[in-house]
Amino acid sequence: MFRKKERHSDPLIRKLMKLVGKEHVLHRQADLVAYECDGFTLQRGKARAVVFPGETKEVSAVVRLLHRERVPFIARGAGTGLSGGATPLGGEVIISLVRMKKLLRVDLDNRTAVVQPGFVNLKLTQAISKDGYYYAPDPSSQYACTIGGNVAENAGGAHCLKYGVTTNHILGAEVVLPDGEVIRLGEDGIPDQPGYDLLGLITGSEGTLGVVTEITVRILKAPEGKQTILAYFDDVEDGSRAVSDIISAGIVPAALEMMDRTAIEGVEAANFPVGHPLDIEALLLIEVDGIEAGFQSEAEDIVDVCRKWNVREVKVAKDEQEAAAWWANRKTGFGAMGAISPDYLVQDGVIPRSRLPEVLNKIRAISQETGLRIANIFHAGDGNLHPLILFDAQKPGEKEKALQAGSRCLKACADAGGSITGEHGVGIEKKEEMRFIFTDEEIEAQTRIRSVFNPDNLLNPDKLFPQPGRCAEVKQEIKEQQGLKV
Amino acid sequence: MAETGLSEKRTCSDQGLGHYLPGDVPDANKWADCVHCGLCLEACPTYLETGHEHQSPRGRVHLIKSVAEGKVEMDEAFMDPVFTCLDCRACETACPANVQVGGLIEEARGQVRRAVPVTGWRKQMSRLFLEGLFPHPERVNKLGQLLRFLKSSGLSSFARKSGLMKLLPQHLNLLEQVTPEPGEPLRKKYQEVIPAQGVTRARVAVLTGCVMDAVFGEVNEATVRVLTRNGYEVHIPQGQTCCGALHVHAGEREAGRKLARRNMEAFAEADHVLVNAAGCGCAMQEYPELFKEEPEMREQAEAFAAKVTDVSRFLHHRGFEKPKGEIRARVTYHDACHLAHGQGVREEPRRLLQSIPGVEWVEMPEADRCCGSAGIYNITQPKMAQAVLESKMEYVPEDVELISMGNPGCMLQMAAGVLQHGRNARVVHTMELLDRSYREGDKKEV
Repeated sequence: MFRKKERHSDPLIRKLMKLVGKEHVLHRQADLVAYECDGFTLQRGKARAVVFPGETKEVSAVVRLLHRERVPFIARGAGTGLSGGATPLGGEVIISLVRMKKLLRVDLDNRTAVVQPGFVNLKLTQAISKDGYYYAPDPSSQYACTIGGNVAENAGGAHCLKYGVTTNHILGAEVVLPDGEVIRLGEDGIPDQPGYDLLGLITGSEGTLGVVTEITVRILKAPEGKQTILAYFDDVEDGSRAVSDIISAGIVPAALEMMDRTAIEGVEAANFPVGHPLDIEALLLIEVDGIEAGFQSEAEDIVDVCRKWNVREVKVAKDEQEAAAWWANRKTGFGAMGAISPDYLVQDGVIPRSRLPEVLNKIRAISQETGLRIANIFHAGDGNLHPLILFDAQKPGEKEKALQAGSRCLKACADAGGSITGEHGVGIEKKEEMRFIFTDEEIEAQTRIRSVFNPDNLLNPDKLFPQPGRCAEVKQEIKEQQGLKV
Repeated sequence: MAETGLSEKRTCSDQGLGHYLPGDVPDANKWADCVHCGLCLEACPTYLETGHEHQSPRGRVHLIKSVAEGKVEMDEAFMDPVFTCLDCRACETACPANVQVGGLIEEARGQVRRAVPVTGWRKQMSRLFLEGLFPHPERVNKLGQLLRFLKSSGLSSFARKSGLMKLLPQHLNLLEQVTPEPGEPLRKKYQEVIPAQGVTRARVAVLTGCVMDAVFGEVNEATVRVLTRNGYEVHIPQGQTCCGALHVHAGEREAGRKLARRNMEAFAEADHVLVNAAGCGCAMQEYPELFKEEPEMREQAEAFAAKVTDVSRFLHHRGFEKPKGEIRARVTYHDACHLAHGQGVREEPRRLLQSIPGVEWVEMPEADRCCGSAGIYNITQPKMAQAVLESKMEYVPEDVELISMGNPGCMLQMAAGVLQHGRNARVVHTMELLDRSYREGDKKEV
């Protein structure tokens, strides 16, 4: 009833409609509002249109058109990313891949599955669990995020401690290059190929090298069994030391997660509470899996380590339901912050595990200095911190303060010998912080790799790398004057 | 701007409300809880059908907020996603932060209805149903009589054969076909007070509902029998009226308020208001939302809402007589959205059904996914309703004989799906099965 029969005034939109069908192009201002950001909400921009191709051929045709017309464009899945990778900066055409959401093939003999990019992460495990298999990378947004998006961000998750992140599970991909050419990387079922690891390069490139249109993933046999352990600590340092001790005892848990007091306040006030005490300083959620004899004794060792570090209470989940409730509580932790704060900014630093207590202290100091509360939910086992900076964007100046606090948290991680991102990507959010860990020359080298694939910088422009600094330009000029080609 | 009928001076951008009209503005506290994480996307039937983020809970919340920020106008492009929402609340179950998307949508619809009055055939339809029909029990009953007459006289099959029915959209046509032979409305058949069998445990009042009473009269009868058998004295207050759910869903909030006031009065004496229609129960529990700006009424509405319970939950929580009559059938259960997502009632009806001897239980995958009925959504948005129903039918186990549920709208919609797909299953209300088992058990004892 709301459709109007007029021709659209923007010729580009008419051309896009011709390629994919009228109903698969969004262009009204109000329809585009939903696309002005992804899970990272602090920076927003207006897209020119959103186009929904239904197959690789259409993706290629759309990309060819945009390339010919010199219009910047972005690939987007479910838009659950946390660094703004799928956010337009202004004027881009968004290529949404959510119509391409099929599970194309499952090959149990060779333990692979082939999916379209819009296929939702959790659905893969749901589809193959009846045969005793699962897909290991499990970002907390796995209820909604797409495997295409996971490839772009090289997504991690709670169980990546033992099983590795997305890149360890990708065996092949079909990719539409920024000029519309369709290429295939990797062979189905062949884990490694001679020559450069282009698949590894594409994975985690944050949508700056190509648009992935088909993905072959590795699937794993589900472990014989597992046990989930919950430990409450009165002291964060005790919890941190327990983490270090578990790992140095040679145990590799499937997952080893930590939440601090503020985080617990959030999840208990939200939609999936499980009754954690509100007066503890930290909790550990630990899962061990494998063969019965192995994980039973590992669970016992873990309980012993927790006791050694003055745990207040440690318990093993009595059944699958209880374990599932603990996990739902943990996995919805970011969103749960909405229950105790109007806005939040999640950071994604990585540190050597041994520096955990020291970095947590620094984060606490940042919180005190800025006056903003910071909750910590993180993959303690692999030292991947997620400080959640709570703020209210309606209060003048708080957003800027939050961004600053986030940046300082990342600096603390980098200073401790770590990194600025473990799994959420750089996107728009951490571009400048790339300088904490890379020199200008290193950044320049990487942007050159990008230009091999994406010479016109039309695909997801201005993401991932900072603008070349003034000082780098000056240096380059000097070098060029001296006849040294950089 | 002009085509929306919304003039500049009626908006309140100068009061910080963006393009909303003063009064009953979508609640900023509700959207402040949303951190845009996107975990709601896969729970939303309209997002699953369209893949469009403005047709997702997160997108809709963002849009509603954008109107308040003055970035988007209350025009057609705003109305479309706001009215395409099924108000099924599946997103509220999925949401980590408890964002009340349903409440926001209803508030936004109220704004739209005030700013952009309905016109054309939709106005006629909405008037017919919302003003002409539902607030008047006697008219709904007349409609029931008419249906009964059409069915029994063979006129409806004549209309179908003659092609008259083809004039109706396909989906409405189907609904007509599955509308059962209406039983006698409860409010006519029974006295205002129906005594308990044996010792009286407590007194309860029952909402008879509009569709339930006119179209599924036998469900109401079964409900009364089940309650009296379990020792409850059942009151059917004559002053009661339509719960107003359909009005609130349609954005007619003032009409909803009027009905709410009448019901609160009619049920003033009751300690327990029992409901066998998910949509009605949920709406009555949410009466306080309608009186945000009238503190005194709000307080009354809160007290009233606390008394409203779904009949399956009430029976389960207070203990019920174990049914003895055998029903040998493969039974599955469909979660009505406004029971599962709206009221958190999931286990109770399952336990009642599983207590029936002979029942072979088959759990339906995605049992709490919307069937597309959603009040009168299947009448106002037939195309999307049909698409949602198609997706739902994929999950209905092939070989079940009975599909039980707790909402009349779902019963019609699911029956339409069953008919379309040539399935053999029958759609029943949980109270009907429980009642049948009780009665079968009695026969045996005699």
